[in-house]
Amino acid sequence: MGAGTYPLQPRPSLVGTSLARVARVYAEFVRVGFVNTLAYRLRYYTGIVTYFIYVSVYYFIWKAIYADSASIQGFDFGQMLTYISVGWIIRSFYFNNIDQDIAYAVMEGKLAMDLIKPVNPQFMYIAQALGESLFRLGMLTVPTAVVLLLVYPIRKPASALHFTGFFASVLLSFFIVAAINFAVGTFAIRLQSILGLLRAKYFLLELFSGLLIPISFFPRIFVDIFAVLPFEYISYVPVLIYLGKLSGWGIARALTLQVFWILVLFALGDAMWRWSSRKITIQGG
Amino acid sequence: MKRHLRLFLLYFAQYAKVRMAYKADFFIAVISSMTATVLGFGFVLVLFSKIPRLQDWSFYEVLFLYGFSLVPLGFFNVISWNLYEFGDVYIIQGRFDRILLRPVHTLFQILFEKFRLESLQEVLTGTVVIAVCVQRLRLAWHGADYLWFALMVACGAVIYVSVFLILTAVSFWFEDRVGIVPPVFNMLTFGRYPLTIYNVFIQFMLSWIIPFAFASFYPTTHFLRRESFESLFHLVPVVAASFFVLALIVWERGVRNYSSTGS
Repeated sequence: MGAGTYPLQPRPSLVGTSLARVARVYAEFVRVGFVNTLAYRLRYYTGIVTYFIYVSVYYFIWKAIYADSASIQGFDFGQMLTYISVGWIIRSFYFNNIDQDIAYAVMEGKLAMDLIKPVNPQFMYIAQALGESLFRLGMLTVPTAVVLLLVYPIRKPASALHFTGFFASVLLSFFIVAAINFAVGTFAIRLQSILGLLRAKYFLLELFSGLLIPISFFPRIFVDIFAVLPFEYISYVPVLIYLGKLSGWGIARALTLQVFWILVLFALGDAMWRWSSRKITIQGG
Repeated sequence: MKRHLRLFLLYFAQYAKVRMAYKADFFIAVISSMTATVLGFGFVLVLFSKIPRLQDWSFYEVLFLYGFSLVPLGFFNVISWNLYEFGDVYIIQGRFDRILLRPVHTLFQILFEKFRLESLQEVLTGTVVIAVCVQRLRLAWHGADYLWFALMVACGAVIYVSVFLILTAVSFWFEDRVGIVPPVFNMLTFGRYPLTIYNVFIQFMLSWIIPFAFASFYPTTHFLRRESFESLFHLVPVVAASFFVLALIVWERGVRNYSSTGS
């Protein structure tokens, strides 16, 4: 992983270290994540097909539904199709497998390597995932967007300003997902195998983030509960900005709340890592 | 036949023992697996809280279709574990040598060496959902319906096994660097909704190229008493048998083509 190149020294606290040095260290992890993904670049061709299939299923479902009505919950067919498509397109960027990576590191006994590195493990995993996501942006997100735009009548963003807000929001989505996955991943340290748990989390995020269906379609009680949880800030909120259903202060408020959730989840992940790493048993040796 | 049945039970018992070594772990796997399945219904439940029907399909009819798609798939998931890693573990690492040395059919060993036990919950969840729908839709099942149901579940599982066996057998010739299985696996999603909502191209593909419609949609139309697909419903066993034979032929050719890693 290239980690051996760093001189071992006491774990730097973020305060009191030169910020440029810290940035350099994590930039290296971003690079490693990017390069590691390079080996699997062929897989992205089928990834595009997979995303195309997902969007197509929902395209036909909504097409059948809108045959009877012009507008449902304030969405016309064009908006709904755009909602679904943009949702899947950004998903191809923001998702990551930090939780799985931790699970495998535990199973293969590689977690020891993470512990001896003089870095914050949460930021290390997130930096690597960012490298992967940047790679995917070019290899998966953009091609998928092009294919979908060619096949389906997807609407343009509401305005240049909305698109800028949307772009910033998607970047923040990445950090929300990354922080959630890190926190979930720490369970791997205490449990024997968490792959089943991860599958449940996968379906939970798909549904509660608004990727499958806009949050406003949920029964009222769920809408109220989701408002105080971070999940809808992953997909629902960025796509609403794209569609122009959030504007001006609404966008500013949404971005602020995304940052708020990132900070809360970072703190949670850090606490969970501390709690879990007190109990680490390294497999094999 | 009797020997194979005995072997199957021994394989099963052996693997169950392995999993039961970590009881809490297995328990968590079952609960998480069930949570994932139930969340999968979320889209349909939320959708129908805002719309009355999907084309001319009511909520419980769509729910029936979704539930039915889970039952054969659950059985398939239980035995398909080895297919996912076949290329990596058996071909590239050369573990297939071991399979060839034993006096039992290769396919038998590959399918029954490992079981994803927790996927049995999908069979259970699907069946419960179907039972609720049968009651709500007042379908009044008779003895014959239960027999058809069992047959259709078996045929559906055979169709899934056959399709993915053919794809798996490709690794006897090529190292699959592109990953052709995931897109096909994701096409299973198409089978969870009425076939009639899709365009002609997708309908044709799901019927005659990758016949997932014969594993979920056509059986469901029979149980929902939708007469227009009755002739295709009767074709289900034929399609299942044909694809299974095709899969066996491809597999046998693949086995003959196998040359070990040579180290």
